[in-house]
Formats: sequence, C-alpha cells, structure tokens
Amino acid sequence: MADLVDSMLDLMRRLPPTRTEENVAALVDICPDYADDLLGSVDQPLQVKTDRATGREYLACDYNRDGESYRSPWSNEYDPPLDDGTVPSLKLRKLEIAANESFDTYREMYYEGGVSSVYLWDLDDGGFAGVVLLKKTMTPATPYEPAGSWDSIHVFETVERGRQAHYKLTSTVMLQLVTRKASSHEKGASAGALGSEGKGPDGLRTDGEVTLSGSMTRQTEQDWPIHDASSHITNTGKMIEEMEIKMRNLLQEVYFGKTRDIVYDLRSVDDLEKARRQKELQKELAGFIKR
Amino acid sequence: MDQAERIQAVSNFLLQSPPGEINDVLNDVRNIISDDDALQEGILPSLRQYNIEQFTTVGVPGTEHQSIISEAARVPGVDPDESRFLDPRSKTSFVFDHLTLEASDPQPYEIEENHEPIREALQNASLTYLAAHFHEGTVSVFVPSDPPQEFTLQVVANKYNPSNYWSGRWRSEYTVDLTEKKVKGKILVNVHYYEQGNVQLETKHNISFNIPPTVASAPPATAATKILALIGEEEGKYQVSLNETYTDMSDKTFKGLRRALPLTRQKIDWDKVTGYKLGAELSSSKGLFGNSS
Repeated sequence: MADLVDSMLDLMRRLPPTRTEENVAALVDICPDYADDLLGSVDQPLQVKTDRATGREYLACDYNRDGESYRSPWSNEYDPPLDDGTVPSLKLRKLEIAANESFDTYREMYYEGGVSSVYLWDLDDGGFAGVVLLKKTMTPATPYEPAGSWDSIHVFETVERGRQAHYKLTSTVMLQLVTRKASSHEKGASAGALGSEGKGPDGLRTDGEVTLSGSMTRQTEQDWPIHDASSHITNTGKMIEEMEIKMRNLLQEVYFGKTRDIVYDLRSVDDLEKARRQKELQKELAGFIKR
Repeated sequence: MDQAERIQAVSNFLLQSPPGEINDVLNDVRNIISDDDALQEGILPSLRQYNIEQFTTVGVPGTEHQSIISEAARVPGVDPDESRFLDPRSKTSFVFDHLTLEASDPQPYEIEENHEPIREALQNASLTYLAAHFHEGTVSVFVPSDPPQEFTLQVVANKYNPSNYWSGRWRSEYTVDLTEKKVKGKILVNVHYYEQGNVQLETKHNISFNIPPTVASAPPATAATKILALIGEEEGKYQVSLNETYTDMSDKTFKGLRRALPLTRQKIDWDKVTGYKLGAELSSSKGLFGNSS
C-alpha cells in the first residue's frame, strides 16, 4: 500500500517542523509495518553522539544505524557495540576516512564549529553511495539571546563510467531559529531611556517568541571526471558546496522574505481605508480634469 | 496500539494542522486509519478544540457577515452535546457542526442590556480597525459572562493560497476591563510555506497596558475608539518589530550558523583539501573501484 506511505509523507510536509521527531514516533507506533519506509524517507534532526574510542562527536541518522546501534565514522565502532554490525568494505572505509577529514575541513571553514560525519556504503551494482552530515547548534546563554540549529543531510549515489562518474545528490537542510523578546515600561521610566520608540500606553508590558523552522530539499545529477578514488571526494565536495550555497540563499529568501510577505498579506501597517479613499479622490480628480 | 489509541494519536495531528489545511490533514489521517466511522466519532473532540482555538469563522444564517467560533462564543448553560455558539453582532445563536463547519438552527439571542452599549461601541470601533489594517478578516466582541467585568475582543484574518503552496493566519484576542482599566491580549501568527519543503513561522506575543482614566470614564463610543486606537498602535508596533526580529535572525543567528562563504571569501579548493591529506595513501590505490584505471 504505497499510498499509505504517501499519506504519511504528506502529513509530515504539513505538521510543524518543530515537532517532527514526536510525530514520526507517533506514526511509527500507528503503523509499525511501515516504520522502515517512514524512517528512510523523513529527514529528522541529527543527533550528536560521542565516540567512546576517540572522544570525538559524530552525527547519528538512519544511514549509520544498525538496529539500535550507531556507527561512528572516526573509530568505525558501533555504540552500543555490535559484533556483526554492517561496515563498508575495506577499500570503501579508506575512502570514508579520507572523506570525513575533508568534510571536517569544509565544516570548519563554513560553520566555524558544529559537527560533521560522512558515511559510505557499497551498492549491489558495484557503485557506492554515501551521506554527508553537518550540524551546528546555537544555544543561548540567556533566554533572550537568539537560538538556532542547522542540519544538512546530503545523500549521494555514484556510478563510474570509464573516466567519468555520474552522481545523484539529494540535499535537505533543516533550519530552526528562535527569538524571544520582552519589554516593560512603567510610567515615567520609558520616556527618557527609550525615547520615542518606547512610547506607549501606561503600564505597557509585552513579551513574545518568534520561531521560524522547517526543511527544504533539492536534487541534482551531474557527471564529473575521475582520476583516482580521491576524485570522488573532490567531486562530491564541489557538488555539496555548490548545493549548500544555493540552498542557503533559498532558505534566506523563504525564511526572511516569503514568510514576512505573507504576514503583510494578512495585516497592513498602513491604513488601508486611507489608501482606498486616496484612490477614490485621485479617480475623481482625474475625471474632473478630463471634463 | 489498539484502534482507540491510534485515533487518539491522529487527533493530535489534527490539532497541529497549519492554517487552512485541516482537510488535507484529515484526508491523510483517513487513509492511515481507514475506518471512517470510528474516525469520525473519535476525532470530534479534537475538531471542536481546533475550531475553538483557531477562531474558525462561519457564515451565520440570515446575516451577511462571518462570526468567530471560540470559547467566548460558546453559549453557556445548554445541552453539552450540542455545540451552540453566539454571533453577538446579529444577536443570533446557532448550532455549529465541527466537521462540516456549517451553522444551523439560528435563534434570536438576548444580550444583557447593561453591557450592550459598550459591546456595540467596541464592535463598531473594531470593525473600523479591521477595515483599516486587515485585507480580509473577522471580528467578534463578547460581553462579560461573569465577573471579572471583561469584554472579549477577537480578530482573525486568514489567507490560503494552496496553488502557491502557502497559507497564513493572524489571530488576536483582547480582554478589556473598564473597572480595572486594563487591556490584556495576545497576538498569534502562523505561516506555512510548503513548496518543496515545509517552513513554518509561529509567533506568540503578549500585550498588556492600562486604560487611561479619562478614556475609561468617557462615553462608550469615545472610549471604544480610543481603546481600539491603542490596540491598533500596539499591533502595528508589533508588526514592525517583527521586521527587526527578522533582521536579527538573518544577521546574527543565520550567519552564525553557517557562513555564506569561508573567511577567505573564496570557495574551497577541493583538490588541495583532499590532496595534501590523501596524497600517497589513495593515489596508490588506483582502480579502487575496478574501472577507473
């Protein structure tokens, strides 16, 4: 029943992104038979775990999960430990180690903090696939400092064709931003300190919270030349960097442009009635001049 | 999970529906549960809660305007199985169907005489305010039911644009207490943008202020106009302050999470990044994937 999964995915496209984890868990409870389909197709915020062997943080998602355990890209170990956990072939693990180092450099240059992880796995047809994960969280020191988180999930598949490789990349960015504000000015105190901005009725108190949250997904397919195995890192690196730049612009446009415009489609700061009257007057004047 | 628990779980989804999308959520939920009879009965409490919380609007039979379904609009002291609501503007009560969103059985409703002049004045001032600042919207003003002596003023404005994948809702609610000379209220804004994604804006803003004594003791029409002017000014200030919040989020939080470009102002030289670290290790393993040599 493929359309059941479609309904679940449509639901996840509508329900608040701030509650994705809770809602996915509820759907899994409702339809346990479809848990794998759902967990494999809904992107959830990445979890930060600590590698017991190296002490380094890594990211957990469905792609490095085996049962209840997650594999660290740094030590290649599962936590909780698994004797027979799925690991990449020796050759692919070599590339995975190198990719983790490269994307760690990428992370430092763009995110100046946060955590990154790369996981690769062999495909049946001889190619391989992988996921590049990046996450950064801003935790406020006080309630009125801005908070936010960015999660990137880049899933790719590649097939080598002679000296070329074909890449299919699906990228999702989850972004959450929260701002809290409060102000109160009792009589007299406001006038001097806050100037005209603080003007308001006697005893005015306000407090509030603004949350912008969501995710966007984009896909691309490209061919790139390959010289040796490390070409795959260079190629996916360029593609992912390009994609993140594109998506960052897109998020900026949607988060700070589109949603703001919709608020202004609901309410107008300017007096609409006044504008209507002015239009009427202009019409009248135009008619008068014609005469 | 048994069927009752499953219905309980999907009821929780319904309550989270974005503006104007409850029918889409309902369709998904119907497909997931695939037992319409059990579902219809089981989700009724949630639909009722959703309509009341979200200020669902309904055309009242025999009137030209819309009326707000809310806690304040509930007609007290009637059969609990019946959902009867009040449209104070036309002084009509009606039965509201929470599933079909239709009003029926309109009955005349007497509003308490003592309160009506002030209520009507607040309603007229609110309608003027609505026309001045909302592209489309509905307002209802209710008289106090018990002490405290608070009039309740509710505004809702919706815009649904499914063909462009967005929807929005502005709700505000104020209680006006002329004895304590206090206005308390909140503004709630929800926006959903879902073209190749799911982005939501959710805001909550609480406001309270004192009513100047001269205003509180003025004749109803004057007092109502002044109170609505104060509310309107605060709502306007809030809307403008949202712009500042957006700028802050964009300049501080967004930039702090991920830079547009590295400090070098140049994209990464991937050959270098992979090259100096991998060098010997990987170049010796040419043909790693069989066909690249």
